[in-house]
Amino acid sequence: MNANTALIWLIAIPLAAAPIIYLAGRLSVRASTNGRSAVSAWLATLTLLSTGYPLYFVGKAVLAGSPVKLAVQAVQLRMDGIGLLLALVVLLLGLLVVLFSTAYMSGNEGEEKYYALLIAMIGSIIGLGCAADLFNLWVWFEAMAITSYMLVAFYITQPASLEAGFKYLVQSAAGSVFVLLGIVLVFSQTGTLDLLEIRNAVQSPNPLLLAAGAAFLIGFGVKSALAPMHTWLPDAHSQAPSGISAMLSGIVIEAGLVAMLRALGSISGASSSWGGLLLGFGAVNMLVGNLMALRQTQVKRLLAYSSISHMGYILLGLGIAIAFNIANGAAGAFFHLFTHALMKGLAFLAAGALLYTLHIARDDHGPLMLDDLNGASKRYPLAAFTLSIAVLALGGLPPLAGFMSKWQIFVAGAQTQNTWVIVLVIFAALNSVLSLGYYAPLVSRMYRKTPSPIVESGEPAPQTIVFPLLLLALGVVLLGFAPAWMNWLTGPAASSLLAAFGG
Amino acid sequence: MTLSISEIILITVILLLGIGFYGLLAVRNLIKVIVSLQIMVKGMMLGFVLAGRLAGNVSLGQSLAILVIVVDTIVAIIGLALAVQIRRYAGSLDVKALTTLKR
Repeated sequence: MNANTALIWLIAIPLAAAPIIYLAGRLSVRASTNGRSAVSAWLATLTLLSTGYPLYFVGKAVLAGSPVKLAVQAVQLRMDGIGLLLALVVLLLGLLVVLFSTAYMSGNEGEEKYYALLIAMIGSIIGLGCAADLFNLWVWFEAMAITSYMLVAFYITQPASLEAGFKYLVQSAAGSVFVLLGIVLVFSQTGTLDLLEIRNAVQSPNPLLLAAGAAFLIGFGVKSALAPMHTWLPDAHSQAPSGISAMLSGIVIEAGLVAMLRALGSISGASSSWGGLLLGFGAVNMLVGNLMALRQTQVKRLLAYSSISHMGYILLGLGIAIAFNIANGAAGAFFHLFTHALMKGLAFLAAGALLYTLHIARDDHGPLMLDDLNGASKRYPLAAFTLSIAVLALGGLPPLAGFMSKWQIFVAGAQTQNTWVIVLVIFAALNSVLSLGYYAPLVSRMYRKTPSPIVESGEPAPQTIVFPLLLLALGVVLLGFAPAWMNWLTGPAASSLLAAFGG
Repeated sequence: MTLSISEIILITVILLLGIGFYGLLAVRNLIKVIVSLQIMVKGMMLGFVLAGRLAGNVSLGQSLAILVIVVDTIVAIIGLALAVQIRRYAGSLDVKALTTLKR
């Protein structure tokens, strides 16, 4: 298959499949006697597997260095290393989330809408990865945001999830007004929207373009949870269905970050301080995320705050790469993006498996409290074991994947030979130790405390819920032993980033 | 003092953004929150038309404004749908009623 044709299929398959999944699921639910049907889940799995086929050809061409692009009139879609990384992560995580959700969402009202929206969200993230036009980038970004609003507020009869959904919608929509403001400023100054043409047109500092950069930082920063704009994240992550929490934390906030990098990269000629700003946001994110996570009593809120601190590590790596032109920093950041998707996906899915068996299977929409985990390893050995692996990897214990990706970022920081960056790296390492202050008690609770009454009376977890957990745990352990396996993916993504910032 | 067309549009854009942002911060009714968001986005639509004029590409600016209308309508519909559900299941449209997750 030609790579340019494959790019069309890569975007078209999930977007075209979403309405079909909804219709087929709806019809089969109507035809069934008990109001349940697995048709939409199986169609979603099939869609994601068949999207992998064009991704193979696109990936082969991108890694070989040949341009993969698609022009619709003046609007261009270009696939590069960053887009390939994003597409691969979203398909991988999406497939596991769909498998997980077959049991988790079974029998919920509107199950077919869940799969249709999930597939549409995956399609729009793939599109966002290859948008090469500023306005087109915003359209994909909004498509992703709109599907995620509906998925966060999926339990439309629960006041708590409606509250989280509304808060998320208002903050995110206000953020997207700022993105539009940035686009208006860039468009009025350069007269073009193509990212490459903008970058060639912007050579000197200009106050309006600096304002546009600030607007991009605020607007995309809301979506990627930069520290003062993060307040929607813990609510949305804790109230969404667990599979969606895994998607939001594992890939949606990172997709917002990729959109921000694309927009800032196009106006990199206007200022050289974007990298420094990212370093600053990274430091604040790490501290805020860790300190807030320490005082949480709900498992999913704790994991949500830890996502904020992990965005800090990714920002640290990207900031080092952009400010000092060190490819290793970007490669580390993209490797951390990949491992974070695996680790946080695993953590949310394992917490979701426990939430399902302890609460949702009993028609109770209450949150999973830390106390509910007491002694969980006695009745749910696999879920407790995979959750322990996930949180220990997030805390950065060797030889798990999280240690390797953080280490690569820290090494890149040491390469800069800059006192401030080395201070920042030490700060990040201390934050990593601080994060064990809330991860380690979680593990200790599950293995050392006597089982709580709610665990004693729990039903065993369904097989289909446990299977994706084992796959993800295997990935986290293997990447810890062989981090070099991902170099083929993170290397091209890092060089694409540096090329976008004119390095 | 006479103002050119561009300056009048620019002042209108800034006013709309300011009114919308103030509303977002000050208003307590969920429907009015969505209205405030809409006012901000209306300002940006006008901004695209102005940017097209300044960049000498009027048709592109106007077509982008139309696309913004399409996307923004979907966001407004979802926001209003959520507000209806909140009224139905939480019993109030007041922002102050939505504090169960604040801790």
